[in-house]
Amino acid sequence: MDKYLDVLPTFVDKIREVREIIISNIVFIGQISAPTFHERRRAERLVERFAEFQVDECTIDDFGNPIGVIHGSSSSVKPSIFVVAHLDTFSEVLVDQHFEVTDKTISGLGVSDNSAAVGVLASLPDIFDNLGLRFESDIVLVAPVHSLGRGNLRGIRRLLKAWPTPIAGAICLESVELGRLNYYSDGMIRGEIDCSIAVEEKWERYHKPNAILVINEVINSILKLRLPQKPRTQIVIGRIAGGFNHGKIAYDAKIGFEILSDSDDMVKELFADIGDIVAGINKAFAVELKLNRISNLGATSLQYNHPLVKCASRILDRLEIEAVSEPSETALSIFLQRQIPAITLGITSGDNFHQEGAMVEIEPMFKGIAQIPALVMAMDNGVCDE
Amino acid sequence: MNKNWIESNTFHHSEFKDLNRLVAEKQRKGLSISLCLPTLNEEKTIAKEIVIMKSELMTHYPLLDEIVVIDSGSTDKTRDIARSYDVTVHEADTILPHLEKFKGKGENLWKALYVTRGDILVYIDADIKNIHHRFAYGLLGPLLLSDTIKFTKAYYDRPISVGENKWRPTGGGRVTELVTRPLFALFMPDLTQILQPLSGEYAGYRSIFEAIPFPVGYGVETGMLIDIHKRWGLEVIAQVDLDRRVHRNQDTKALGRMAFVIIRTFLKRIERLDRVDIKQDLFDEMIQYSLIRGKLRPEIRLFEQCERPPMATVTEYREKFALGTHE
Repeated sequence: MDKYLDVLPTFVDKIREVREIIISNIVFIGQISAPTFHERRRAERLVERFAEFQVDECTIDDFGNPIGVIHGSSSSVKPSIFVVAHLDTFSEVLVDQHFEVTDKTISGLGVSDNSAAVGVLASLPDIFDNLGLRFESDIVLVAPVHSLGRGNLRGIRRLLKAWPTPIAGAICLESVELGRLNYYSDGMIRGEIDCSIAVEEKWERYHKPNAILVINEVINSILKLRLPQKPRTQIVIGRIAGGFNHGKIAYDAKIGFEILSDSDDMVKELFADIGDIVAGINKAFAVELKLNRISNLGATSLQYNHPLVKCASRILDRLEIEAVSEPSETALSIFLQRQIPAITLGITSGDNFHQEGAMVEIEPMFKGIAQIPALVMAMDNGVCDE
Repeated sequence: MNKNWIESNTFHHSEFKDLNRLVAEKQRKGLSISLCLPTLNEEKTIAKEIVIMKSELMTHYPLLDEIVVIDSGSTDKTRDIARSYDVTVHEADTILPHLEKFKGKGENLWKALYVTRGDILVYIDADIKNIHHRFAYGLLGPLLLSDTIKFTKAYYDRPISVGENKWRPTGGGRVTELVTRPLFALFMPDLTQILQPLSGEYAGYRSIFEAIPFPVGYGVETGMLIDIHKRWGLEVIAQVDLDRRVHRNQDTKALGRMAFVIIRTFLKRIERLDRVDIKQDLFDEMIQYSLIRGKLRPEIRLFEQCERPPMATVTEYREKFALGTHE
């Protein structure tokens, strides 16, 4: 283990040597808009970059996932090592962006989720080369599409379902925050509740229901639900929209929510409770209130003392970065569901993650990236088999 | 008028995307190439230009041998940011410091000749938001692959940024269409084939640049084209479509000041060529008016008629590049 740790300071310096390549990749790929379900152009650009870096196999699979495979040196078939960074962004803007770069930061919509990580993924062939690393296993670089929101991680699900050879383990990359070490995911159901009020012709009823007030009733009812401390459970109401004018009754309103728990049964139970709330309010207000499930995940976990987790933790420790472990509902969950050891790492620090003015810092990125070759070396040498 | 030129000497950058071929040709001809970025308060864009050019055209493909920033005295962090990416940064005033000091893009480009070492120089403005390495390799392609072309000029489909994520798809080039092209059509119709004579991106052999004078301000592009055309003919010039260039928009008054300098440069040139006889000295002041609290007030800007001589006539340059004594 120590041999992977001792090389880390050298790794950081050598990675800094190719910072222009890394920043260029973040800019070139990140500037291409890629809302979920509209990732094609970004996928093509990533594969082009893989090809320019002489990656052995570059392709976009049937589902649209861009993939680069660096062939391993082993003559026998060794399980592959996956490095993954989701390709899509939260921003629904379809216009290409212009990132700004200074001596300290890279800023632009989507850079912190997840363009910086995708740019780093594109740079890994050059980084491995600059570090003089060759691996026995095939290294599979993937930026899955259809990950966020309604995408429901379909890209990585489909890829793993169709992948023909054994997989040793996976490192999932997120742009921020440096120090994150995720190795378990909560059970999760993500849903939307839409309230729609029939538009009457000519004269409106005086006491016509207001969709925003109906949705407010729904929110209040959800907040009254009793959530247990064990199993650990949470309901997040993360999105709201409705109405169109200050002085007009709102005909439409909508909320988006997420139920999270380390118990899948609790998630299902709460989703059923919300279904009852919706049905009750539907009747009470005589409106059209609909509950839709847009994505779901089962709770999965790697043991905290799994060699991969321990190894990642020691790498962070040697880099003098405090490890922070929280549940993560990302591609990690899909690997773990398939009994493939996996962790999620953060690349750098940043700010304004999902807003205008999103930015990531350049200098911390070199330590963040150094985790990857060190972990790949460890996995190549069988740390996941221990 | 040479009507074939626009067919034979107009290219698209994609014709030169095989960078291995360009590098091989550069090496075969034993050439070195310098990229010069003239700056004045470009802290928002300079880093991205340097990073992309270094990554793509120095690290991946050894097409450029150096990147040099020549700064006109930025008051923001332009110079610090540029230095942080390990490129050479000069303040224009510190180059050939014994000479009278001028401010302007032309001054920076002229002084770049003294501090760079390339056989070919590429000049690229530092305010390009959608910078891509095609801006450099597109201009270098014809110079490296042709034996006759010695100077390349960019042209674009130029959208103007009018706000965050909003683009006006046509526009830009107003000074070109209202000033430069009519003047060229009147006196030098050959040059009307150059679609964007004022574009800020061009490349050429040192032997060309060192032999022509440089107006220190906005007139540098106009003067350069006329001088190259006069001395070597249209055949040494090519233009390259670099697709889209996103840049800051300038207001009409700023464009008016630019037009003033360009017209003056043009008139001086054609007078020198004995095409016209101007029977008075041209004035140095551009006068524009603003309505302030109901009263029209003049805004007078002085634009001195400064022009640097061909660099090859400067003693220090001749010594540095071992050109022998200038007669």
